[in-house]
Amino acid sequence: MNNNDIKNVVIVGGGTAGWMAAAALSKLLYTKDINIRLIESEAIGTVGVGEATIPHILYFNRLLGINENEFIKKTNATFKLGIEFVNWGKVGERYIHPFGPYGMDMEGIHFHHMWLRQQGLGNVKPIDEFNLQIQAAKAGKFRRAQQDLQGSPLSTIAYAFQFDAALYAKFMRKISEERGVTRTEGKVVKATQKPENGHIDTLLLESGEVIKGDLFIDCSGFRGLLIEETLQTGYEDWSHYLPCDRAVTRLTERMETLPPYTRATAKSAGWQWRIPLQLRTGNGYVYSSQYLSDDAALESLNNDLETKPISDPRLLYFKTGIRKQTWNKNVVSIGLAAGFLEPLESTSIHLIQTAIARLMTNFPDKLFNQPDIDYYNERTRIEYEQVRDFLILHYKASTRNDSPFWDYCRNMTIPKSLETRIAIYKENARLYRQDQELFNHVSWFAVFNGQGIYPKRHHPVANLLSETELERRLNEIHTVTQKCLEVMPSHEQFLAKLP
Amino acid sequence: MSHTRNTQNTNIKTIAIAGGGTAGWMTAAALSRMLQPQNVKIVLVESEQIGTIGVGEATIPDVANFNRMLGIDEPTFMRATKATFKLGIEFTDWGRLGDRYFHPFGTHGVDMNGIDFHQYWLHAQSTGSKELLEDYSMCAIAAKRGKFILPDANPRSVTSHLRYAYHFDATQYALFLRDYAEKRGVVRREGKINDVLQDSLSGNLTGLRLENGETISADFFFDCTGFHASLIEKTLNVPFKDWSHWLPCNSAQAVASERTEPLLPYTKSTAKKAGWQWRIPTQHRTGNGHIYCSDFISDEQANQVLLDGLDAKPLGDARTIRFKTGCREQFWVRNCIAMGLSSGFLEPLESTSIYLIQQGISRFISLYPSSNASQVVQNEYNRLMSREFEQVRDFIILHYKSTMRDDSDFWRYCKDMSIPDSLQHKIDLFKAAGRVFRDDGELFTRPSWIAVLIGQNVFPDTNEPILSDIPASDIQQSLSSMSQAMQKAAGTMPSHAEFIERYTRAKPNTNGS
Repeated sequence: MNNNDIKNVVIVGGGTAGWMAAAALSKLLYTKDINIRLIESEAIGTVGVGEATIPHILYFNRLLGINENEFIKKTNATFKLGIEFVNWGKVGERYIHPFGPYGMDMEGIHFHHMWLRQQGLGNVKPIDEFNLQIQAAKAGKFRRAQQDLQGSPLSTIAYAFQFDAALYAKFMRKISEERGVTRTEGKVVKATQKPENGHIDTLLLESGEVIKGDLFIDCSGFRGLLIEETLQTGYEDWSHYLPCDRAVTRLTERMETLPPYTRATAKSAGWQWRIPLQLRTGNGYVYSSQYLSDDAALESLNNDLETKPISDPRLLYFKTGIRKQTWNKNVVSIGLAAGFLEPLESTSIHLIQTAIARLMTNFPDKLFNQPDIDYYNERTRIEYEQVRDFLILHYKASTRNDSPFWDYCRNMTIPKSLETRIAIYKENARLYRQDQELFNHVSWFAVFNGQGIYPKRHHPVANLLSETELERRLNEIHTVTQKCLEVMPSHEQFLAKLP
Repeated sequence: MSHTRNTQNTNIKTIAIAGGGTAGWMTAAALSRMLQPQNVKIVLVESEQIGTIGVGEATIPDVANFNRMLGIDEPTFMRATKATFKLGIEFTDWGRLGDRYFHPFGTHGVDMNGIDFHQYWLHAQSTGSKELLEDYSMCAIAAKRGKFILPDANPRSVTSHLRYAYHFDATQYALFLRDYAEKRGVVRREGKINDVLQDSLSGNLTGLRLENGETISADFFFDCTGFHASLIEKTLNVPFKDWSHWLPCNSAQAVASERTEPLLPYTKSTAKKAGWQWRIPTQHRTGNGHIYCSDFISDEQANQVLLDGLDAKPLGDARTIRFKTGCREQFWVRNCIAMGLSSGFLEPLESTSIYLIQQGISRFISLYPSSNASQVVQNEYNRLMSREFEQVRDFIILHYKSTMRDDSDFWRYCKDMSIPDSLQHKIDLFKAAGRVFRDDGELFTRPSWIAVLIGQNVFPDTNEPILSDIPASDIQQSLSSMSQAMQKAAGTMPSHAEFIERYTRAKPNTNGS
């Protein structure tokens, strides 16, 4: 062991972010000589964001060596094939953003170009019917991908989970404690800094205990106990692009049949989520306080609940944006302490996950090399901006004019990066994935097409097939997709049969 | 969803390609494959009186994708272009006189527990291991032993790690693609271009007037006229960004020599007093060239260096080529795209010339415009191509900058020159803790950067902190089993010459379609 190696890692805060970080670090660091301690207080509640996830969570679980079936039982989870968006492009419209691909890519180009060409020729079947996940979601069916059926849509089913975030944190806590993470109950009242460089030196707890650390991970939520209250890193406000700043949430009874998807319904001043779990349903109205009072938001939430409430409403305040440096000195902020993006595309847990992965890749020693930290911050920012742009698209690509909120969204200026992307798609349907970004062409196409943005042209290679050949291929894909759907069990059946 | 998209009237109807050569015929072949020849007429104008440069005889693995996209049968292509396989590049005398290293295609070793392989290797070095990084590259091991085989499709086999490109005769490649393109309806016009016609209002190009008075009209143009840049520069006045302060070489002398045995499956690049010399083996001969900076050495001296560096008898006299490193400020302006040398020049140290042409073509196709191209599409093309040139540029500069040579003014200049911030940042990150990150779509991946950095004696100050607790013997054991498996696989591979002989003798199983 080198003298410069980190010996004490201190995680502040034990919500989803804190325990995910603890679980991953305890697995990935060879802990013989590294002590990982997590400080949390039962007196401080957790927000428990991100009940809905995206498929990348499977990597995280795999990395931790988690048995998926056990995980599903412990977290009251259901499967998720995508998100249904209702009333976004126009009131009365709906579409599903699926996790898996449409049709199949041909001649080296994406399927949507072929479909667009056929659409131009007339007589095209709806795009949804070329996507097995969408079809299965609508039919309430689910099964995992069958890798051995190469070439079949059954081999490309991608899924994520909807789960109870509090139970998830508990599950992560158990894994962490089994691997030697020490949990300290208590409130942090003060952080001391090293005079020479401003790095955090110790944390003083309410009990009088003093905790020393080399590396601090701030998972204390919106307040940013270390990254903001102590280091005053600063926060970049993005609420001009994403004006929602509150959410009112409420748990309701379990739905009778469990849809294998999350629903996001656009409303007069924001949108409402519905996340079906095995034992209950999560609901929340994300809205802009500029356009809607809290009382009116609660009333609207209650009106749109589909099952009976089983909890009191909770009100959450937030500001969309990002910490100016998510890693500052010897403090790495993860989760809500790093930034906030509304859960419209279920990215909260994903952003925690990638922050952990990035920290592992750039794991410091006591010298804290600035180029590594700069790189970490640059990558984090790019990632947040990419997710942000994708979220803004949902608000911007709307023709709704039924409320001042939507008037604002329709007319707001958007980041140049997004503007260019929309312009290019409108020109020739080109969708490219920038710099390892999270959302790929399938996602962008789903939202563009679902919200009524249509391109002028498609890829010229789509014109190479003869009209009869194109129709034959599309029909074949359509038939295969329907056949695959038939052999899938219902979501409930599948859950019931999990070993 | 009942909207119709009526764009018939703005579709491009005629595309004119000015200039044959590698860039021109690659463009013609790809367009004839990707567009509907019945709807888009493609005309290529070239003159037999104007020679082509064709220095890009060595390639990188991406070229196979291009050939696959065209539906070209590999053995047929190899026979026609006298091609050999290439597994990487051997660099000699770059870091220091007497040093050598191999930059292989593909990866080194296998990443374990989410940590890059090279970190394990660095860790093993610090505990006394003497194995070279390239001893863990399947490509480097096979290359060193003069062996070749196609990669195994089974991902669990070590030979599945093989990646390859070709060495070929660029003139033959252009002829091969010409045949392909003409069969698919591309019209070739023989003749020198006298004038480029431009619409006085819009500034768009409208046609090419040939020496014989004939005018070729078109909606869209490709400038493949090489360094002449007749369209992009002489007509459209697009400025050139000069990068010669970072890459000062500005001349080359090239000569072929007799084939030698054994037939090597790799390119050699040897640093010289004021530049470097390439050695590219094809089936029938060896291509050689000395790239140098004329501020530091005369043409006569450079010629002598070239001849002294040959390992077989030259076939004829060397020809001299002049160039300036850099690229256009814009690649696509109005209705014209510059492709190949007219778009920019980066010395062939990492065999990227043909790759850059390929990228230009595939981006054009995926951004395929109407005849009144929107500005947003052009901007996107220009952004992507600028980034591509800059990323390749940085990687090439790295070879010159990270040297300890001080035996000539040329090398002293390179060692001390300032470099782009983007490159400085990469070097800093590596020096701190051995980390390498690939930027947005960057061509050269982590193993390439590592091969050159380590090969030229750039080592990180500290090792990966996460590894410090693993016992050195455990790491050594994992590494040894990897290299043993690779050595064993190389032992059973045929020699490069044998493989080519067998592979290209066989009847083609498909006809290029």
